[in-house]
Amino acid sequence: MRKFFPVEDLARDSRFSKITIADRMADQRTALAVNVNANGNGDADGPSKRTNNMRLTPSRRDASDGARGLMHGIFVGEIQALEGAGRTCWDFETGTEAPFALKLDMARQCWDEARHVEISVKLSDWMGSEIGQYAENTVLFEAACSSDPVLRLAGVNRALEGLAIDVFTTMKEFGDLAGDQYLEFCEDWMLADEVTHVKMGSDWLRKITENDPERRKKALEFQNVVDKLFSYGGTRSDSQESPIGLARRFRELAGFTDDEVEVIAEVSMQALNERKVAVGQIREAKRLADQSAHK
Amino acid sequence: MADPYKPRAPFAPWDRRTLPGIFDVEESARRVGNYKWTEMKLFEALGGWVATVPELDVKMRLGTHCYKHAWHAELWHKRLPELREMNPERLTAPANDAMVRFIEAMTEPEGPELTIEKLVGVYRVLIPRFIAAYTYHLNGTSEITDAPTIRSLKFILQDEFDDWRDGEMILQSLIETPEEAARAAAHMQKLEAIMIEAGGIAGIGTLGSL
Repeated sequence: MRKFFPVEDLARDSRFSKITIADRMADQRTALAVNVNANGNGDADGPSKRTNNMRLTPSRRDASDGARGLMHGIFVGEIQALEGAGRTCWDFETGTEAPFALKLDMARQCWDEARHVEISVKLSDWMGSEIGQYAENTVLFEAACSSDPVLRLAGVNRALEGLAIDVFTTMKEFGDLAGDQYLEFCEDWMLADEVTHVKMGSDWLRKITENDPERRKKALEFQNVVDKLFSYGGTRSDSQESPIGLARRFRELAGFTDDEVEVIAEVSMQALNERKVAVGQIREAKRLADQSAHK
Repeated sequence: MADPYKPRAPFAPWDRRTLPGIFDVEESARRVGNYKWTEMKLFEALGGWVATVPELDVKMRLGTHCYKHAWHAELWHKRLPELREMNPERLTAPANDAMVRFIEAMTEPEGPELTIEKLVGVYRVLIPRFIAAYTYHLNGTSEITDAPTIRSLKFILQDEFDDWRDGEMILQSLIETPEEAARAAAHMQKLEAIMIEAGGIAGIGTLGSL
């Protein structure tokens, strides 16, 4: 078996359809219903006159489908998190490339993620969706492919598992508001594990780079890139326009400093605003194309 | 109530533990080092294979079992200094070169169509060898002086039996044709040949000598 496994070779059964983040962002049906005017300035002037509050709550008209889609995203994310942690056990030599205790933590994470896959399958079934009903974006595993274990921990444990904290908090609240105790119960348990995983990442990052500021800087920069990428063009931010909120309290429990949470908040808002501009440009291009077609 | 000052036997009549064991401290530490090395190689391989198997149930089992073997490695890592090996890395070693070749051969399959070979190596060759080596150690070591090793062995053996059963049941569900049965047997034979050369997880004499 090779060291370092390419994302395109991830093994899946026939139910799954893999897509890249570029595919997802290019899909005009992508459910980020930001309101932009023709110049992409973010005014509540979009063609659908949608409300500015896009947080995933049971009162949203598309709540059921949105929650099912998000649940499927969690499911495939858990599979990739399992695969990523597993690869960290295999890809690095114990002692020379990664400490024994770090690999033990990654093995523990494998077990946790395997349970999360089990929980997600049961929850998806409960919510009325099927495996493979939605496409699988493989960007999470890509963040787990760095050749430096510290970068993997920054990208996966701190950025991605940090996002998982935000997602599970939103879903737990969704379950609470919808009176769905089954959903709330499961999200609560998964949230506990994710806080542990983020803390593992925070602890290892500080420990390994204690005397190597350059490596720490590189790792934090990589985390920043992944955080922005995983804000999915504004899907997660403090703004009510984002379906998923930033779970500040649980992030603190997981070892993020106040400053670090602020940086993530800024990066997420930036991603949301960039997405608004992009959506505005797409709409404007479409409007111009329609105009010239009618001439 | 019985008189609390009445002398009682230090070993109750039902406590039949005996003092002698077949391993001295040095031999026990050597074996524990071999166990740790092999458990490490196993958890690393199980973790690495997760991404390579398309079957969702197998993916989840491998992830679960990966941690169990990591935990076994950790238990042995912690036991080594208690056996007078203050540098656990020194004894974290394969029993011999054949054991290294065995692990290389076991971890060679990577393609998504090779799940049977991956599982055969683990659940039909290596884990049965673990069960044998651990049982021999459990039955042979001093029940009094080596009680901490016995406690770990009992926890670990429970895991090994559970995992072996899981793996064997998955294999039985995957092997559907005579050709697949032949594939499984051929791979098992190839690996067994190397394991025989190694003599078991703790080398020649893993199960004593008859």
